[in-house]
Amino acid sequence: MNQVDTSPNAIPNVNLRQVGKNKPRNDSPTKVYGKAIYAGDLIMDDMLFAKVLHSDRACADIKSIDVSVAKTLPGVHSVLTADDLPATNAVMTDMPGQVGGGTKNTKQPILAKERVRFYGEPIALVAAESYELAQRALDLIVVDYEDTEGVYDAFDAQKPDAPIVYGNDNIVAAYKVRKGDIEKGFQEADFVLENTYSSQYQEQAFLEPEAAVAWVDEHDILNIRSSTQVVEHFRAVADALGMPHNKVHLQAPYVGGGFGGKEVMTIEVWLALLAMDAQRPVKLKQTRENSFISHGPRHPFTITHKTGVTKDGKITAAKITLTSDAGAYAKLSPYILLYATVGATGPYRVDNLWIDSTSAATNNLPTCAYRGFGTMQATTACEAQMEELSKLIGLDSLEFRRKNFIQTGDPNATGQIIRSAVWSDQCATKAREALGDKPKSTEHTVYGHGLACYQQSYGRIRWMKDTSESWVGLEMDGTLIVRCAVTDIGAGQMSALAQIAGEVLGVPMEEITVYFGDGHVNPLAGTSTASRALYMTGKATELAAKNVRNNLFECMAEYFDVRPEELDLGDSKVFVQDNPERCMSVKDMAKHCAAQGVHRHSLEIYRAPPSEGLDPETGQGEVFPDFTYGAHAATVAVDTDTGEVTVIKSVGAHDVGQSINRQAVEGQIEGSALMGQGFALSEELILEKGVLKNGSFSEYLIPTSEDVPEIESIILESRSGLGPFGSKGIGEPVFSPVAASIVNAVADAIGTRIHHLPLTPEKVLTAINEEKTKEAAE
Amino acid sequence: MLPRFELSQPQTLPEALKALAGGVGQPLAGGTNLFPDLRGGREKGDTFISLSQVGELRYIEHTDNRVTLGSGATISDILRDPQMKIAAPALVAASDIFAGAMVRNAATIGGNVCCGSPSADSVPPLLTLGADVTLASASGERTLPLDEFYLDYKKTVMKPDELLASISWTPPTPGSAHLFYKLSRRKGDAITITGISVLVEAEGGKCKTVRIALGSVAPTIFRAHEAEGMLAGRVLTSELIEEAAQSAAGQCKPISDNRASAEYRLLTAHSLTRRLLRQAWKQAS
Repeated sequence: MNQVDTSPNAIPNVNLRQVGKNKPRNDSPTKVYGKAIYAGDLIMDDMLFAKVLHSDRACADIKSIDVSVAKTLPGVHSVLTADDLPATNAVMTDMPGQVGGGTKNTKQPILAKERVRFYGEPIALVAAESYELAQRALDLIVVDYEDTEGVYDAFDAQKPDAPIVYGNDNIVAAYKVRKGDIEKGFQEADFVLENTYSSQYQEQAFLEPEAAVAWVDEHDILNIRSSTQVVEHFRAVADALGMPHNKVHLQAPYVGGGFGGKEVMTIEVWLALLAMDAQRPVKLKQTRENSFISHGPRHPFTITHKTGVTKDGKITAAKITLTSDAGAYAKLSPYILLYATVGATGPYRVDNLWIDSTSAATNNLPTCAYRGFGTMQATTACEAQMEELSKLIGLDSLEFRRKNFIQTGDPNATGQIIRSAVWSDQCATKAREALGDKPKSTEHTVYGHGLACYQQSYGRIRWMKDTSESWVGLEMDGTLIVRCAVTDIGAGQMSALAQIAGEVLGVPMEEITVYFGDGHVNPLAGTSTASRALYMTGKATELAAKNVRNNLFECMAEYFDVRPEELDLGDSKVFVQDNPERCMSVKDMAKHCAAQGVHRHSLEIYRAPPSEGLDPETGQGEVFPDFTYGAHAATVAVDTDTGEVTVIKSVGAHDVGQSINRQAVEGQIEGSALMGQGFALSEELILEKGVLKNGSFSEYLIPTSEDVPEIESIILESRSGLGPFGSKGIGEPVFSPVAASIVNAVADAIGTRIHHLPLTPEKVLTAINEEKTKEAAE
Repeated sequence: MLPRFELSQPQTLPEALKALAGGVGQPLAGGTNLFPDLRGGREKGDTFISLSQVGELRYIEHTDNRVTLGSGATISDILRDPQMKIAAPALVAASDIFAGAMVRNAATIGGNVCCGSPSADSVPPLLTLGADVTLASASGERTLPLDEFYLDYKKTVMKPDELLASISWTPPTPGSAHLFYKLSRRKGDAITITGISVLVEAEGGKCKTVRIALGSVAPTIFRAHEAEGMLAGRVLTSELIEEAAQSAAGQCKPISDNRASAEYRLLTAHSLTRRLLRQAWKQAS
């Protein structure tokens, strides 16, 4: 990609040897050959198997729980209800590992006592000699429920006489942004457009359902090997059980996908309780059906945009309200609402801005983190509104966006000045170009093009004071080891660290060993969430590798009789830049430096830029370290007889700062193209009075291989990000605009807009027929 | 969890029929419907007679003017048979988008026909071929039109000791069009919302034979005989096709479920019947 660099802060191109190259990931062979061990694969002597009794109703009082028969079943070793738990019976579901202020009230009962508040709430735990026995024990547990009146809508939950699910008023969180003068802004507008957009529940649908094995070892340490995005949950497990933090050892092997669903603790605390009670290893693998109720799905949002715009396309004011359904417990809802609030205006500059956002508790499934984390829902609404505004004033939608894009140095919704490159325009232009011409309509088929842009943060909220550590060491034989407790959730987190350390120290990534996913033998690296893993752990690894390089160069400069800055490392050699003939293999260098007593390893910490929170009245302040910008575009075909939508082409164009592993970046873009397509067209958890009606893969419809369109990945590199080599986070950013682009393409094809997702064939056909009726009436 | 069950594995058809005659146990073919339903508690049963070892049920035979599918032929077998594209074009089309590749490798034509599901994708094309089914039991065989096979939702004329042995039909003449349309919420591994098959044979500028079958829009998959009667022997004008499509839709008794509403099924049964009749007439004439 030959991009002209227009950003003031981009660093000049660097001569990279491995980073950004098209190299296979280090974890590929073990996964392709089926050798990779996942959490559920571990088998231990004397191991028991666990099952969880989930509530089959959404809102009820528990009159009694009778486990007496279940306990007598031969082969059943542990049956636990809330009565058997520590009196607190609570587990923290807040952001783990944070040291800053602002923790929310996110405690949740480990097991329901006296009351169930959502469908699937855990009531009892069983460990037995087999899953079958554990299931039989569950079937013998008698729960006497009395249904009570619940609330199943985020707006109903805010009414004065609503049943209370959370706190005193069901309000889990609320934010406001007050900036400029919206009265004046609307007066300056030639047009004012108001629309309400709403979106549905989405299930993470990771390949590997929740799985873990827990055991108490010979040192009385509680070990848990779990499929999690966050090994720092060891602290919350310890707190829940009343144990010292250093007596709980949580490790994550390769994880079969997370997407936010394994960010908040899932099954770890249940297994911890059973292993402590039975004093034997215990395994739990959730079935797919139970997985649907073992983590929080994406929040449904209702978002109203009232936007003022001049006839030449400048946005003069925006009034936006956002409401999300938090479900029965807070989990991460407050933070997700904050992301949505910051993302409400997308990548556009709006100087006169008024936002009110609310997250309300209901007796629906507790919603939680999911790739895009509120920003995605906000983007979907914002981009629909942008398309409608451009239609209203008769301007090309990209031209309209260009007039309003945030530029480097501009403030965003919360007044944070954007310091990295903002290549929204370049990305959108390339994405749209890649679509080519729109196919001509035929008898039953109309075609549409759609575009969407976004602003998505990477890195955690700054007042959480996020840090990551990593250790890099050079062995005596010249091989490299990286130790960093990053969890590898399938996106190449481990492999990226090899590539980064290898780049700095001139050793091929394939030859580097990375120890990951275990925070008790490796330095703690923080979560693989918030598009922060590469940014934070990569940066820490880059810093540690540079320390080692500096130490080595100091010694080798003396050997070659040059200054350290005259040396370079590459192709497993150290050499003098001006005279590469003067060189030594890394292997010999390692020995030489060892003999000189040089420190050949380094532990480094990277600290994200901190801030102190938002002004509660104006919502102004610095929320995130930085943002990624880009665009997605799509071509769709719509069948006018049936309303079926077929995505024909899907193009992601993103400024990733610097791609570390090109294949991994393409993997993110391609995966998100499908995940976004599912959200736009077919995925939706159906709840009836809080009860899940389609918790299986035959009824909950993620795209299949036969739904895959042509996908094109366009990677732009401004090298202006905060991550290693100027990279930006991409895991969530590349996903956030996808659904919006498809929704816009459908609107383009059928000439009318559907305001509630997903766009099922039935909704699309209804919209087509309504539009026909309207046209006929005119 | 999948409940415990007894499984017998007869090696020959007589052994299988003998096992069935014992009155204990249900036949198990590919299991692609049965196992998910057992696991989900929607089906009960503790004794199954697996047909997977009965090799003589798994065949495809093309003779002079007849095609016979052994009930053990898998959906993939149909796709792999080079003559099937001519012998049953719509059945090939339905097989091609039948569930996903793994299910196609396991699912048998007999299982799909016998499960009696309104959304069984192989059935509308077989109905429009005018296929016959041969049922076997320890006491003998009987053959009847597939059109008379279904009684109600998941109910067929089969007796507990009977097994579907084969399905046969006369291939459509070269001047025919045989079409299938599956409407679903995604392209792969989807349960059909509305499934329509149409066969039109034209001769001398007129429609000689026409068959219309509709799936997922009533308790059973059915032939729209009244609509067929309106078209047979005539020139298929747009108006006539529209009337026939209306008539076919009029016979539907759809339900609303997670996939679609009854109204939507009705609308699309109508529009897709119209579309397929138009396409078939154009192709055939």
